[in-house]
Amino acid sequence: MTTSRDIGPKNPAQQVAEAAVDFVDERSGVKTGARWFLFRNIPAGTSWFQTLGFTAMVVFGMQAITGIILAMYYVPDTQGGAYASIQRITEEVTWGWMVRGMHKWGASVMIIIVFLHMARVFIWGAYKYPRELTWITGAFLLLMTMFMGLTGYLLVWDQKAYWATVVAVNIFASAPVLGPYIGDILRAGPEFGPATLTRFYSIHMLVIPAGIATFIGLHLYFIMRLGISEPPWSKRRLRIERDEEDARRAAVREHAKALPGAVAYPATWSAGAKDGTR
Amino acid sequence: MKQADKRAYDKDYAQAKKTGKPFFPYAIFKDTVIASLTVIGIMILAIVVRVEVGEPVNPATTDFVPRPEWYFYFAFELLKIFKNQDALTPVIMATFMVPNILILLLIVWPFIDRGPERRIWKRPFALGMTVIVTSMLCYLTWMGANSPSGVSSQGLPVSGLDEEATKGMAVYMANGCGSCHMVAGVGAPGPGPDLSSEGSKGWDNAKMIAWFKAPKPPMPSYASLPPAELEALATFVNGLGTTYK
Repeated sequence: MTTSRDIGPKNPAQQVAEAAVDFVDERSGVKTGARWFLFRNIPAGTSWFQTLGFTAMVVFGMQAITGIILAMYYVPDTQGGAYASIQRITEEVTWGWMVRGMHKWGASVMIIIVFLHMARVFIWGAYKYPRELTWITGAFLLLMTMFMGLTGYLLVWDQKAYWATVVAVNIFASAPVLGPYIGDILRAGPEFGPATLTRFYSIHMLVIPAGIATFIGLHLYFIMRLGISEPPWSKRRLRIERDEEDARRAAVREHAKALPGAVAYPATWSAGAKDGTR
Repeated sequence: MKQADKRAYDKDYAQAKKTGKPFFPYAIFKDTVIASLTVIGIMILAIVVRVEVGEPVNPATTDFVPRPEWYFYFAFELLKIFKNQDALTPVIMATFMVPNILILLLIVWPFIDRGPERRIWKRPFALGMTVIVTSMLCYLTWMGANSPSGVSSQGLPVSGLDEEATKGMAVYMANGCGSCHMVAGVGAPGPGPDLSSEGSKGWDNAKMIAWFKAPKPPMPSYASLPPAELEALATFVNGLGTTYK
């Protein structure tokens, strides 16, 4: 379509915008990168089950945002300050109940999504060559997600959370050899106290999030490098398997014809044989 | 996986990509739909099931129900299975062995199941693991969700109490011992062992008090209780099943 906009000088605003994009692209290659990222091919059978990893990442982002908002109001003080700040967030701060509710429910939902994601990868055998390291980085992400739940639980500083965490830390401390040291590190000393709360706070909002972000980066790097796995029962795979099966049956028939007198096995008998085909 | 299998996979995957479709918009569309539904679901949960503020922490009163978040119920229930601390069911199984074996299996799994086969019904070992681990986790989580969390305030069905033991029982009740232990059928069936016949161990009070102060995990320390209460509690517990029935 030819319109008057296609001839003559461009809109100056558009000129400036294009020049800015070109300036950045010339130095960073962002246009090429984005084009490669968005328009690279993925297997045609990529399924709805393969959205769980992305969803887990989005929920993590949501936890980060709600967590940052909560951190603006939370006071990690064992002398009533922590409890009072939780009460304030829940009852006084505008939308505070909503942000805290989303953070709390987000934690449960994130655990469920991460488990479903793991189950999908496991059942599909998607951790097999060449994606072993993707699985291992994912395993660490699962463990860190669980540890997020453990450290976050204490921060509300109510009876249930406090004593459940005392028991949990006791369990860590009871491990042979390293246990006592781990216990001391988690408690910030031999006893549960003010330093324990600030330590859990720091672990919960700085140490593990940094670990999770790093491992999400590694996980994504592997996924982009190796590509998303194809469902083992995609249409394309099923067609290949059917073709292989037909070819083998034909071979069995040929074999029977070539050797008169040999028993012609019904082709179905050999269908279940272990033949190494995928 | 053998080299030939690896090359065959690489070739097959390259083919899948060649005949595939672009990441944008196909994958991005599905991702966006599911992620948005999930975040909306979280918002609805936050609105419908409001967060509550529990009782404030009081480390001096150990009256508590040691209940973790639901996603740790399975670990909590494991403690109940291995609560007896005897040779057959040592508590270290629940606190150390089982969790670490699961973590180790999780991490090294790609090096256990290495064959080229990806269809689950042709990987019986992986299928078996899926069924066993999933049903175990679901069962234990369900058990944890349904485990009794409180203990009756009526007292324990124990008779023959003298003055000191009555005081001891009051300490027992006030500190939520029944949230983990059972006496004559009253209380939680774990994580702590049944104390109905604790007296038959023949411990003296000094040994019992030392235990209260520094027990074996996961039991927390009760060193913060006043000495008189510890003494009364020790008398009570040391007589259970023998003097007080």
